[in-house]
Amino acid sequence: MEQRASPWRIAVNASAVAILIFLILPSLIIIPISFGNANEIVFPPEGFSLILFRRFFNEPGWVESAWLSFRVALWATAIAVCLGVPAAYALARGRFPGKRVIALFLLSPIMIPHVVIALALFVYFFQIHLSDGMLRLICAHVVATLPFVIVTSHAGIRNIDPVLEQAATVMGAPRVLVLRRVTIPLLYPSIISGALFAFLISFDEIVISWFISKAGYTPLPVKMFSSIKWEVSPVLASISTMLTILSVVIAVIVVLILRKQSDREGAGRS
Amino acid sequence: MTPELREQVRIAAFAAPATLFMLVMFAVPLGDVFLQSISTKTGAGFSLAAYAKILNTPLFTRVAYTTIEICIGSTIYAFILAYPIAYFLAKQPPARRSFCMILILVPFWTSSLVKSFAFTVILGHAGVVNDLLGAFDVGPVKMLYNRIGVTVGMSHFLIPFMVFPILANLLGQPPELAKAAAMMGAGKLRTFLRVTFPLSLPGVVAGALLVFILSLGFYIVPALLGSRHDVMLSQLVDFYAREILDWPMASAIAVVLTGVAVIAAVLLSQVRGGASILSKEAR
Amino acid sequence: MTTKTSDNASEVMVELRDVSKHYGSVIAVRETSVNILKGEFLTLLGPSGSGKTTLLNVIAGMLSPTTGEVFIEGRNVTSVPAHKRGLGMVFQNYALMPHMTVYENIAFPLQIRKMRKKDIEQRVSEVLELVRLPNLADRKPRELSGGQQQRVSIARCIVYNPSLILMDEPLGALDKKLREQMQLEIKRIHVESGITVMYVTHDQEEALNMSDRVMLLNEGNVEQLGTPNELYVNPVSEFAADFIGQSTLLDAEIVEGGETSVVGLGSLGKCRVVIQDPRVGARGKLLLRPEALHIVPRGETPEGHNALHGRVVDSLVTGGTVKHFVTLENGDDVAVQELTNITMTSFSAAEMVQIIWPIEAGLFLDR
Repeated sequence: MEQRASPWRIAVNASAVAILIFLILPSLIIIPISFGNANEIVFPPEGFSLILFRRFFNEPGWVESAWLSFRVALWATAIAVCLGVPAAYALARGRFPGKRVIALFLLSPIMIPHVVIALALFVYFFQIHLSDGMLRLICAHVVATLPFVIVTSHAGIRNIDPVLEQAATVMGAPRVLVLRRVTIPLLYPSIISGALFAFLISFDEIVISWFISKAGYTPLPVKMFSSIKWEVSPVLASISTMLTILSVVIAVIVVLILRKQSDREGAGRS
Repeated sequence: MTPELREQVRIAAFAAPATLFMLVMFAVPLGDVFLQSISTKTGAGFSLAAYAKILNTPLFTRVAYTTIEICIGSTIYAFILAYPIAYFLAKQPPARRSFCMILILVPFWTSSLVKSFAFTVILGHAGVVNDLLGAFDVGPVKMLYNRIGVTVGMSHFLIPFMVFPILANLLGQPPELAKAAAMMGAGKLRTFLRVTFPLSLPGVVAGALLVFILSLGFYIVPALLGSRHDVMLSQLVDFYAREILDWPMASAIAVVLTGVAVIAAVLLSQVRGGASILSKEAR
Repeated sequence: MTTKTSDNASEVMVELRDVSKHYGSVIAVRETSVNILKGEFLTLLGPSGSGKTTLLNVIAGMLSPTTGEVFIEGRNVTSVPAHKRGLGMVFQNYALMPHMTVYENIAFPLQIRKMRKKDIEQRVSEVLELVRLPNLADRKPRELSGGQQQRVSIARCIVYNPSLILMDEPLGALDKKLREQMQLEIKRIHVESGITVMYVTHDQEEALNMSDRVMLLNEGNVEQLGTPNELYVNPVSEFAADFIGQSTLLDAEIVEGGETSVVGLGSLGKCRVVIQDPRVGARGKLLLRPEALHIVPRGETPEGHNALHGRVVDSLVTGGTVKHFVTLENGDDVAVQELTNITMTSFSAAEMVQIIWPIEAGLFLDR
């Protein structure tokens, strides 16, 4: 039997806890600062006030950037889902020659440093004369998010028993009907979590956006980056808090969706 | 064509839109970068001048060396910090483990800008750590805008990526092995050093390669937390592309970066196989 | 069990002509030609890997045959895609859509056929009555037991009146008692609806219980096709004899031909067997079914019977029958099944006894 208080156990637990605190500290520490009274970055914060949040809405440029990031993320997510879910279906259910190659190709952006993709698109957009600010951002963000949508959808499709699709086919349903009435309804949790994941990645995307954004089309992370680099504005604290809350909310929703799906499947096995 | 082949073509067609998009928006631009790296500055002809310049420019050599230093350092620190967490999590009951996973996933899902900004607050001259040290009369330590800042920031970012492969490996180790060692008289530490840790090496190597690949491309953390002595290759790409406007040079550096990343990725795919075979055999 | 023996062309539901399925160099099913008659209950029986599920999937349209053609009701469907063949299929794991209620699951094929909502409602309730689950329409599959799910699966099949229903080991996931109940249910539904059924199983008892005809498959070949009785009484090969029912198989060699042939059983001696066209010197097996054998005390062998000698090592009483396990002089074991008799003598292991059987009860199987 294990001894609870063995020195080994204590050492491991203590160091693990300390490191976990280190991990979560940066995300947490900004939050109290953003509710501080002073118009500067101070820890521990003095008093409680929403002044930094008000400054976000009042100072020029921040809300526009956030709104642009939101719109770009929405478009990029929609396109990534429309392209990625069918592709994931082909990769999960197909047995055609070249499948491995296509899978590797579609997932390769994950392995390529973002700065290389950033340079590639920067040069490419110039050469094909693509100068529309939003279009540049949307195309770039689809490239960045598509692999993640494919991975989540692929895992979701693998979880659907192919026998269900076979049964629907024998019953007389052509492929389109099988997808519409059987596969996709069962795939909703994966599609939604993939979409949320993609939205978050696009909203936070910085390196590629830094290279290709045009004047007047500055997404929020780009504006933040400039600010941190050159003139640190305390508004950054409130923005960081809002972004952290967004991340946590999305993460929690995704975990809940995936938990609900595995519960449903677990009960279904008789 | 048999009905089965026709069916496969129809299924394959589902992947066509995505493949087409990626060809146009990803493959072609990357190919473009490669072409740029072997072109002249004016784009008139082909030349390997950019690569020659790389090998001869002290700037590049210095930055490449710095990059490797920082990446190896961060990988090692990430390993040292991640292993205890992975080990701790492996010993937890599943319910508590999921809760702790959330603690790891929160920084994972947080934007790198927010994390870097937080570190400027934590590591700054009048920041949290120095305040704490001041309470013990330890003079302010410069941890920001230098190598310390970059390393701390990068290691922090990389820890979750290191935890997952190690945790997967530890969970895959059959508990009988440790129990057998205990029955033979090995204490906790010896069991760890002679049984658990050696078996976890495939997971460690997988994590290290993954982390190394990620750290190569880091841009934000060195830009925000480092000084001009901590410039990494990705910043050099930006410098040549958008300030000097020497696209062949920028492309050449990008190609080198990609090459190293691809080699490490190939190595990674070999190791992953090792880890899963191990746990299957041990069963 | 009624036997459909007429092979009238208009009565043929499914015809396979030289159908085979190869996967590269692996042969799953060798060239097979067979007719399945309208209204018949035909079982594809065999061990795993015998090709029975492959054959079923070729008929269903899930797989296309490497050679040969498939005809359903006279129509060549070899290149017709699965969803246009108008068949029904029941799977081992039920394949009920987890996100649909029982009603929606059964209504689904009718919706595919664009039936009117009112007609769908009526048809679904009819079919729920047929499978005796009238009150479960609003439940989700995960709320039902295994037996109930399987019945919904069958209901979903018959609701659109397919001409042929394929069943792929549908009772494999159920426990013994439930399996026996469901066998009766399926038979009842078959008889009441008159639909042709092709059933796949590896359980020979199940096959013998339910089928009009059984097709026994062995490594892609059709070993034998016939009624359950034919397969039991007249198996054509050692594999068939061994797979169906209990049997004792003894090495045998034809020593002398004639109206009644003489067969040598190695060290056990000789016995007489009725063989069609005996070839002297042919080697094979002698098949003895347990219920054809009888144990008597040592002594004279009755007229018209063969005898072997051995000791009774165990006797198991299972209600109305008792099984004796006898070890012969050469070490082989034989199972003898007799009706339990209150005046039966019990045998001690020290006693040497005779196992006797009528000459015509033994069957010689050629190698």
